[in-house]
Amino acid sequence: MADKIEWVTSMDEALKRAKAENKHVLLDFFNPN
Amino acid sequence: MDAVTYPEKAVIGFVSNHVIPLRIPSDQRPLAQEFKVSWTPTLVTLDTDGKEHHRTVGFLPPEELIPSLMLGIGKTCLDLGQFNEAIGQFEKIVTEHARSAAVPEAIFFLGVARYKHTKDPKNLRLAYDRLIADFPNDEWAKRARPYSLIT
Repeated sequence: MADKIEWVTSMDEALKRAKAENKHVLLDFFNPN
Repeated sequence: MDAVTYPEKAVIGFVSNHVIPLRIPSDQRPLAQEFKVSWTPTLVTLDTDGKEHHRTVGFLPPEELIPSLMLGIGKTCLDLGQFNEAIGQFEKIVTEHARSAAVPEAIFFLGVARYKHTKDPKNLRLAYDRLIADFPNDEWAKRARPYSLIT
């Protein structure tokens, strides 16, 4: 198992993976500051 | 979330196995505007077409994030008409995360999903009865009050 969450940073990539892996997407809007 | 919740092993395992994790800065246009993000963290569950089905705002500790994500998956499945999958998610919240704040909402939507799956309104009444018995002051017990009229 990974030792941290491996975040995707592009919506297109996330949806592409979601379709391929038949999963839903967890979208985290975070404070960049 | 970065300091407490995301490094937790159980969270890493759940996220890795069940969702595609996407992180976007809250000032990134146009996405943050499209999702009307006004505070962080804002966590949104999306289907494979990018449509929103569940949202939370504010910090969640590890023991609440996992059942919250399960709620998101269950509500997405419910909206998409995948009733068996939705029922499975809501049942798991109730049985495996029994002390979570997500349980009353899970009981409510478990009743909804079972009703939509079977067309038997008794399932809504059962959800109401359970909410009144176990969480009488919770908002989800109040939302289920009309189901008390089902006999």
